[in-house]
Amino acid sequence: MISYVAATLVLVAIATIAGLALNLQWGLGGLVNFGLFGFYMLGAYVCALLDTKGVPPLAAMAAAIVVTAAVSAAVSLISVRLSEDYLAIVTLGFAECVRLFISYEEWLTRGTLGVPGIVRPFAGSVPPEWSDAVFLAFAYAWLALVFLLLRKITRAPFGRLVRATRDDATVAEALGKNVLAVRAKVFAIGGALLGVAGSLHAFHYSYIDPTQFSTTLNAYAFMAVIIGGRGSHLGVLIAGFTVILLLEGSRFLADVIPFLDGAQLAALRLFLVGAGLVAILIFKPDGLVREYRLRSGAS
Amino acid sequence: MGQLIFNGLVTGLLIALPALSLALVFSVLRFANYAIGSMLTVGAYLVYAFNAGLGWPLPLAALAGGAVGAGLALAIDRLVYEPLKGRGGVTLLVASIGVGIALENAVRFIAGSSTRGFAVEVARPLRLHGLRINQEQITTIATVLLALAVVWIVFRFTRLGRAMRAVADNADLAAVRGIPRRQVVCAVWVISSVLATLAGVLVGLDGNVDPQMGWNYILPVFTAAILGGIGNPMAAVAGAVVLGITEELATLVLAPHYRTMVAFAVMALLLLVRPTGLFAAQGTAK
Amino acid sequence: MSGLVLENVVAGYRGRPVLHGVSLSVPARGSLTVVGPNGSGKSTLMKTVVGLVQPQKGRVLLEGEDVTRLDAPGRARRGLGHVPQEANVFRSLSVSENLKVAFEFIPARSGATFASRLEAVLALFPEIRPKLKVAAGHLSGGQRQMVAMAAALMPEPSVLALDEPSAGLSPKNAELLFAAIARIASTGVTLLMIEQNTRLGLAVAARGLVLVAGQVKAEAPATDLLSDGLMQSLYLGGH
Ligand SMILES: Nc1ncnc2c1ncn2[C@@H]1O[C@H](COP(=O)(O)OP(=O)(O)O)[C@@H](O)[C@H]1O
Ligand SMILES: [Mg+2]
Repeated sequence: MISYVAATLVLVAIATIAGLALNLQWGLGGLVNFGLFGFYMLGAYVCALLDTKGVPPLAAMAAAIVVTAAVSAAVSLISVRLSEDYLAIVTLGFAECVRLFISYEEWLTRGTLGVPGIVRPFAGSVPPEWSDAVFLAFAYAWLALVFLLLRKITRAPFGRLVRATRDDATVAEALGKNVLAVRAKVFAIGGALLGVAGSLHAFHYSYIDPTQFSTTLNAYAFMAVIIGGRGSHLGVLIAGFTVILLLEGSRFLADVIPFLDGAQLAALRLFLVGAGLVAILIFKPDGLVREYRLRSGAS
Repeated sequence: MGQLIFNGLVTGLLIALPALSLALVFSVLRFANYAIGSMLTVGAYLVYAFNAGLGWPLPLAALAGGAVGAGLALAIDRLVYEPLKGRGGVTLLVASIGVGIALENAVRFIAGSSTRGFAVEVARPLRLHGLRINQEQITTIATVLLALAVVWIVFRFTRLGRAMRAVADNADLAAVRGIPRRQVVCAVWVISSVLATLAGVLVGLDGNVDPQMGWNYILPVFTAAILGGIGNPMAAVAGAVVLGITEELATLVLAPHYRTMVAFAVMALLLLVRPTGLFAAQGTAK
Repeated sequence: MSGLVLENVVAGYRGRPVLHGVSLSVPARGSLTVVGPNGSGKSTLMKTVVGLVQPQKGRVLLEGEDVTRLDAPGRARRGLGHVPQEANVFRSLSVSENLKVAFEFIPARSGATFASRLEAVLALFPEIRPKLKVAAGHLSGGQRQMVAMAAALMPEPSVLALDEPSAGLSPKNAELLFAAIARIASTGVTLLMIEQNTRLGLAVAARGLVLVAGQVKAEAPATDLLSDGLMQSLYLGGH
């Protein structure tokens, strides 16, 4: 039971980091990333493959962060000149390609067999019975770091520039700002955060295979951002906790509603996620927490 | 080679229906409908319910499924897209992501995740000038061409078609010309969902009916629509055929499971080189 | 009876008023030209009249009937014809489709057929007859303006609202267009017009109205306004 709670809390942290990454890209930057799970999967696999080849876990994680950041920037360049509709499909397309590549290039990724034996950070110096607790602390340290980093970015002049390009790209362009570079940076930072989340995923499960990565992550992240209020990191943090805890916790429902089998329950949960997403858009468009604004910023 | 091009043509025609559906919604409602894949899936399952569930012959089942699907699309518009009207393309796009997730999982909840097939007789493939043509391919070609012809005629020569094109071109001007937007939007959803349902049936005939089926087509469908210049419905058809043939020819050098990558590569290349689409007419494009 | 009346209209975009209590009245079969500096809210006034902008306060009356809550298609069906300032043709439709779509969603008041209305507007604008099959987006600015006018006239509107019909036209084309407008006005249509070219605009109208910063600054017979030197130098940029 304790370990179940700990595991759920780790998943909440991971999904919330993904939500914060989306909040930077979409909430703050106006760039819809519909391929979240692809970057996340990429991060998890880079981390896992290096880790299992004997690279120290933290170094593997660092490599995963760098790779996802670089790849994110590259993908965004395909379409950041265009409207959000295109970025959404390009990121989704990229994510599907990542999934295909990882599923079929067995020489590199072991394909559907998955990658077992991923070693957690500090595994050597921590007694096994403390492993989960230490990892829980590790994940939350990352969540805190990510949150503080995003808050700092948002309040810095760069954050204002990002919002300016979101609210009116042509005006920002006219003011001599390089919109393309700003957007690529936003995507890269968001990608790095997804690299963090992916690495944590790999460490948490210590075994990964392609079936673990699906659009469910997308749904969680969009839900967290929309409920939290686009652009508000605090809102996303709160929403991430309540929503994802509720959704993950709803696995318990299996005990309460015995006539639904596991697959049906999973489908019901995702149905509610989709319907909830729409309902919030309609009834609570501003989310829980208003976007942080510099006093001198536009209203 | 000829066989590959023929197969590509059929694949392209299959993609053409949902691509047209996507472009039609985009041109009138101004958002990219990510639920298009789920609409295809739902359509296939509705038809499956009439076909395998009630034992109706497939054409009749397709008709019934199309009608129910259209009703569903109208209900979703009423509940979701209409209240969000005027809130911008991105909001509607994200809403359609939610709709897509909800629809796909409604299917999983009701019908389970196992794969199914339509109740049809298996027929032997035909041989024609060295081409191997199977029954599903003939059905696909005939159905798609018929559907496209109907849509084209409605578009070009009817009052409704003119109204749809007028609203797509300039919604405010259409309003002052007395064109009721609501009716046009409803017509668009009916056509769009019927096309998606037909595509679902054809995909299901070609392979299986499963909850994932529409999702697998999202990327090619968007690529085709972008190839045509999104918001340009008939050009989306041309885009679909080009993509289908490209995908099929790519199997000469790439494993077949990498088709999606071909679609992605085509799309990325196009967006970098010619973001207005291959077939966007100069001058009349906005 | 009055053709078109605005009572204390407050209207704008996203809750921010651009018009601050505008009232005006055009008698049936009468004509009024609204002039004023750029950004004074003339187009917003027009959009409020035709139903593209909903007023926050005030009323809009069309031939004595309160149409404030009616949307743009509803007002069009009650006989209100409109030519917007820009984007006033369907560029991807052919000229004849533009005329057809302008006709077929509004019940014909006199029971006229499409063919007879087509002949009537082509008689007013003979220049567009050879262009019927051409996409409207391919026309020159002057031709587009004529197509837009012709389309608005197709269903025989009783009130015609024109937003800067001469914008972007050469002086010669503008003269031609205003000759046509004068002819239309003489057929008994109620005319509300916005015009930058004050000389032409006020010449075809019975009365003129000066709108500045969303408020009515003056309303008088058009000839008085034209000769009022103070008005000219203050608001009209002088001629
Ligand atoms: N669609 C719109 N959204 C927001 N503000 C608008 C819009 N259209 C016009 N405005 C603003 O309303 C004011 C009046 O504009 P307009 O009515 O077009 O003036 P005019 O036609 O007299 O030049 C201007 O300040 C303009 O910026
Ligand atoms: Mg104006």
